[in-house]
Amino acid sequence: MRTMLKAALAGATLLTPASAGVAQEKIELKLWHMEQPPHRVQRVQELIDAFNAANPDIVVTQEPQNWGEVYAKAPAAISAGQGPDLLFAIPDFTPILKDIGALTSVQDFVEELDAKHDFVDSAVDAYSYDGGVWAVPLYNMAMNLWYRKSVFQEAGIEVPTTWDEWKAAAEKLSADGVHGIGLPANKQLYTDQTVYSFMVNGGATEIYNEDGTLRFNNPETVASYKFYADMHKLSPADSTSWTWGEAEACFSSRSCAMVLQFSVIATYDSQAEGDANDLGVAAIPHAEGQEGHHTISYANAVMLLSKHEAKLQAAKKFVSFLLEPENYGRFLNMEPGLFMPVTADGAKAESFWSDPMVQKYRSQVETVIKNAENGRLFGFTSGRTFPSIAAISAQNIIAETLQNIVVNGQSAEEAVAAGQARMEDVAR
Amino acid sequence: MSRPVGWTAALLACLAFFAALVGLPFWWVLTGSVKLPQEIIARVPTMIPHSFTLQHYQKLFSASDYPVYLVNSLIVAAVSTMFTLLLALPAAYAFFRLRFPGRALFYRTILLAYAFPSIVVLIPLFGLFAKVGLVDRLPALILVNVAFALPFAIWMLRSFLAGIPKEIEEAALMDGASLLAILRHVMIPLIAPGIASVGIYAFISAWTEYVFASVLILSDAKRTLPVGFSGIIGQYQIDWGLLLAGASVAIIPVVALFALIGRGFVSGLTEGAVK
Repeated sequence: MRTMLKAALAGATLLTPASAGVAQEKIELKLWHMEQPPHRVQRVQELIDAFNAANPDIVVTQEPQNWGEVYAKAPAAISAGQGPDLLFAIPDFTPILKDIGALTSVQDFVEELDAKHDFVDSAVDAYSYDGGVWAVPLYNMAMNLWYRKSVFQEAGIEVPTTWDEWKAAAEKLSADGVHGIGLPANKQLYTDQTVYSFMVNGGATEIYNEDGTLRFNNPETVASYKFYADMHKLSPADSTSWTWGEAEACFSSRSCAMVLQFSVIATYDSQAEGDANDLGVAAIPHAEGQEGHHTISYANAVMLLSKHEAKLQAAKKFVSFLLEPENYGRFLNMEPGLFMPVTADGAKAESFWSDPMVQKYRSQVETVIKNAENGRLFGFTSGRTFPSIAAISAQNIIAETLQNIVVNGQSAEEAVAAGQARMEDVAR
Repeated sequence: MSRPVGWTAALLACLAFFAALVGLPFWWVLTGSVKLPQEIIARVPTMIPHSFTLQHYQKLFSASDYPVYLVNSLIVAAVSTMFTLLLALPAAYAFFRLRFPGRALFYRTILLAYAFPSIVVLIPLFGLFAKVGLVDRLPALILVNVAFALPFAIWMLRSFLAGIPKEIEEAALMDGASLLAILRHVMIPLIAPGIASVGIYAFISAWTEYVFASVLILSDAKRTLPVGFSGIIGQYQIDWGLLLAGASVAIIPVVALFALIGRGFVSGLTEGAVK
């Protein structure tokens, strides 16, 4: 008996380290995202810590990256076996990784999440093509028209709903050193976004035909550029080099009466007067003859890159965790007022609406969410998504076309024709 | 012979204009970093701050990884500079003094390193470094910085060496000094201004290098200042105070370096120019 006991104890002793070894084998996940400002990194870390604590067999770590480099860095890192397991994306980034074979469809997973949380359709659409869904939508950003209610009231202006009203308002507000509107004309993504916001409200939503040929050069696009160039004359002279921050500063300092921006809430609150009752936000006006207000919207998502089954399952667990209503609001509010929910239950989540900044600017946030419902993204509309959109977007050809008008003095017809030629060129 | 008053006044005005052209942006950055956010973006800019706060510096050092980036940058720039000088000095002396087959060809060939824009070699280099486990490690940046600074450093130091009278070397040789001893005890002290110039060049190149640092480094804890700081600023929403505070701190090491060896640098530049 004693011998048996000894043997059992010896066996147990031998097994213990092995068991401990198994228990210590954790699945490590590397998350790359492009939310680099310190407060966003901190919020993501809080969520990661909560997830890691609730899932002792998984360890998620974050490595924040920069949008400026990730287009080159991610493919290189993946090729070298140093890539992440989860990588945040915008729609025109996904085709690049899909083309190098880094992605597998997550359609089943997205459908499962959709059944549970009810995704905004346009958010899923932006990642649905070529028979698959290539990323899981996480949050939305949509362009809006921002203004001060008191400024409109003093000038006797109603919130514009059509282009004619908009132009008249901008002209009336251009006085005493104030610019009626601040619109960028830089060859940069922000200008792509604002120009496309005009295009979707001018009947020029589609840049591709159904067969993949380009239809950028059409009368609606030309009219949209003409109107943009007209409005741009009321913008500050340095707006040809603007990115998002300069437009926000122009609005916050009261130098611009109106701007197109995803959100100005954080800057308005911290760097301007921060009067929630005075901050106005509206849908972007549309051309005469067009119906409904549209906007550009960026459904940001996360791509699951691991080919290792256990890691893939762990990554899905982490994404599911983020989208749970009790966590989702905290995730979105890493930048209150900028990141909007892409799920129906997320839009109602207590964790979202309980944030002090969201509470303060609740009516503005509600309007932004409503506007986002009519969001579109160039190259990702009506299922007309083709790989060349990645190159067209990367080279900012939409913005370049505008620069040809407002900086180089081309007519809208010439610039749009040249824009289509450039798009065809990079699409080859 | 005295200069006409009008001419002196015009000269002073000219100097003041160019001093303002160079100095005002620095003044703007430094004073902006201690203004309240509202004043930074005010419609009418204030050249003399109407408000004073250290909140941007406080945020920079307490709520961001800026100190980590700063230390990483200092390590990379200092070590890159040290290796550049350690390698460039004997190489420049060898090109200057030794006679070996292909010397002229090699001397000209080393400048080919500048024929390729860094972006062209970026991806192959990433693959290479990934194979040897150098990705996401500071030595990778040091290696790249040294490789890119070395050709110019060799060229510059060789031209300084060429300015030393041959008789001094000959005297040392007569006393039985070896080539290394001549380099160490005779030539290096004589070309100190040139070494200062090359050192400053290597330091600033490494301090401001962005392209390789942005791709070869993956984790936040290993980022250098230009890359890490560009991320802190934010994309859609810019914290202008944080931006100005970070920019102000970023220039301190370079200014300190110039203050320490600036006299040598200026002297080095002029000496190199007349070779």
